[in-house]
Amino acid sequence: MQSVPDVQVNEAIPVSSEIFEPRLPIFTNANPVGCLILACGNTLRSDDGVGPFLAEWAAERFRENADVRVVATQQWTPDLAERIAEADSVLFVDSSLESIPGRVSLIPVAAEAGNEGVATHHLDAPELLSLTRELYGSRSAHAMMLTVSTGSTELGEKFSERVEAALPRAQGVLEKTVLQFLKN
Amino acid sequence: MSQTITIDPVTRLEGHGKITIQLNGQGEVEDAHFHVTQVRGFERFSEGRPFYEMPSLMARICGICPVSHLIASAKACEAIMSVQIPHTAAQLRRMLNLAQMVQSHALSFFYLASPDLLLGMESDAKLRNIIGVAAAKPELGRAGVGLRRFGQSIIELLGKKRIHPGWVVPGGVTEPLEPAKRDAILAMIPEAYANIGMALGAYKQIADTFRAEIEVFANFPSNYMSLIGEDESIEFTDGALRLIDPAGSTIEDGMTATRFTEVIGEAVEPYSYTKFAYYKPIGYPQGSYRVGPLARLNIVKRMGTSRAEKELAEFKQIAAGPVASSFHYHHARLVEMLYGVEKIEEILNDPRILDTHVRATAGVNRLEGAGQAEAPRGTLHHHYKVDENGKITWANLVIATGQNNKAMNEGVLQAAKHYIKDGKFTDGILNRVEAVVRTFDPCLSCSTHAFGQMPLKIVLLSAEGEILDHAIRS
Repeated sequence: MQSVPDVQVNEAIPVSSEIFEPRLPIFTNANPVGCLILACGNTLRSDDGVGPFLAEWAAERFRENADVRVVATQQWTPDLAERIAEADSVLFVDSSLESIPGRVSLIPVAAEAGNEGVATHHLDAPELLSLTRELYGSRSAHAMMLTVSTGSTELGEKFSERVEAALPRAQGVLEKTVLQFLKN
Repeated sequence: MSQTITIDPVTRLEGHGKITIQLNGQGEVEDAHFHVTQVRGFERFSEGRPFYEMPSLMARICGICPVSHLIASAKACEAIMSVQIPHTAAQLRRMLNLAQMVQSHALSFFYLASPDLLLGMESDAKLRNIIGVAAAKPELGRAGVGLRRFGQSIIELLGKKRIHPGWVVPGGVTEPLEPAKRDAILAMIPEAYANIGMALGAYKQIADTFRAEIEVFANFPSNYMSLIGEDESIEFTDGALRLIDPAGSTIEDGMTATRFTEVIGEAVEPYSYTKFAYYKPIGYPQGSYRVGPLARLNIVKRMGTSRAEKELAEFKQIAAGPVASSFHYHHARLVEMLYGVEKIEEILNDPRILDTHVRATAGVNRLEGAGQAEAPRGTLHHHYKVDENGKITWANLVIATGQNNKAMNEGVLQAAKHYIKDGKFTDGILNRVEAVVRTFDPCLSCSTHAFGQMPLKIVLLSAEGEILDHAIRS
């Protein structure tokens, strides 16, 4: 069994990475929740499916908690801005091509408008937060990104050995982060 | 010395394409092409599959308009089965197709085109995107998200999935509509009216500022084709095809899916994996035609719903005959979205909409069948042949983007010739050339479903851009 890297958490930056000031009071916040878990990935591309896998685990873990909403998609589209605007906090969950396979990382996310290459079929987490702020003056207080670095993104429905071994650690970080969000 | 300008990739499209503009020694535009560079293989790998698998298999071609593929495919299968589906099933499919049209048009208008329309063709390229629109016009951004949610929620309520729902099957649909779902959709209608009303108002305010673009954005006479109802109203799911000439006179009417296969041909060009559809009696390229929102509004005499009827009357004031500039696709898209919302409301109030008889069953009664529907981007045609066991032996799909292909290429050339002078160009000019293609809202993944019959051109260029060698596989 290969060793699994420790969880990498950037402790230098406070969890409350950004507090959005409401600029547009029009949004009615129809379905407010305390925490939105927003995962993405392709379950047919081996380790890229770690996001949806963790989302499924989280949906079961927080099944009884109406203050937690879980959404898993193949990619993050602009439409998700509405869901983000309904949440006090957002935990983005994705795989990562950076770092060594199996590394679990948790970092704050801040809104960023992106650049010329902003796509319309998929946005990254900072762009989604930026879009949400512009459209809804979102009241989301916390935004974090949980990633698991990939070992393989080849066609397949099984995780690589290192990512498989990292799953309990990723689940633990996810659980702790959501509970912390709900406490704030 | 000649020079080639390449725009690669063309942004804010469904898929990946490329534009090349060829300049002569004087810096004038000599030729221009819109290339579709993807290739897929749906027609070939469907061979050998049972025909009843085709709707769900073919729907995977596209994540934006899978419903239209489901419906055209199911209709082709029903031709093989020789069945007529129950009234309620036809109405439910119609609603599903309209819901898809609304969400797809919302994506095209708000996410892809509005950066040009609301921020300007010359605006900062870094801000010319959906986030820039949200910052400048948040109310319109929210309207777009709302209309996307409206269409996608209906698809999810009916088909259980927002993308690639499996609810449409040969013979009808798998489950009837539940009263709670009907009520949930009806509850969304007022917000949808408000959102589309806001978008129409905003577009009409700014349309006049694009007079120069309207003049050169694929603004030329052409033929047009779309489905039309028996009462000459707009139709997305049933009805028959009508083809009109540049003056608006009918060339061919009552065209069934079977007739389509007899009179519509597909040409190939060496620079694109997408085929070029044309009307055989006229020939290629003169028999090329446009499809989609502009064609539909040019062909129909009425919408059949009160609010959209008024908008159609206003749209037809743009020109004495068919509206020629592809810039007006944007306007037509908004009118169709309004129609979609109205028609969905009307369908939900059909007293038979909750009927539980929603599927007809039969085996293989014919060895060949074809089906057609209107996808958001235009007419979609599926044609299959099967053996006696119902296994697919041959399939051909004619896609909206292929039917608009000639007009898109001519439009790119028209705009390039107008804007590029003395070999000089700016980001704003190149953006306008791209924007011509965006008016058609082409779906490149849909259009490149074929494999094995496409020409391939390989050009070997020196560092200075000189052609050293080339090969063409035809």
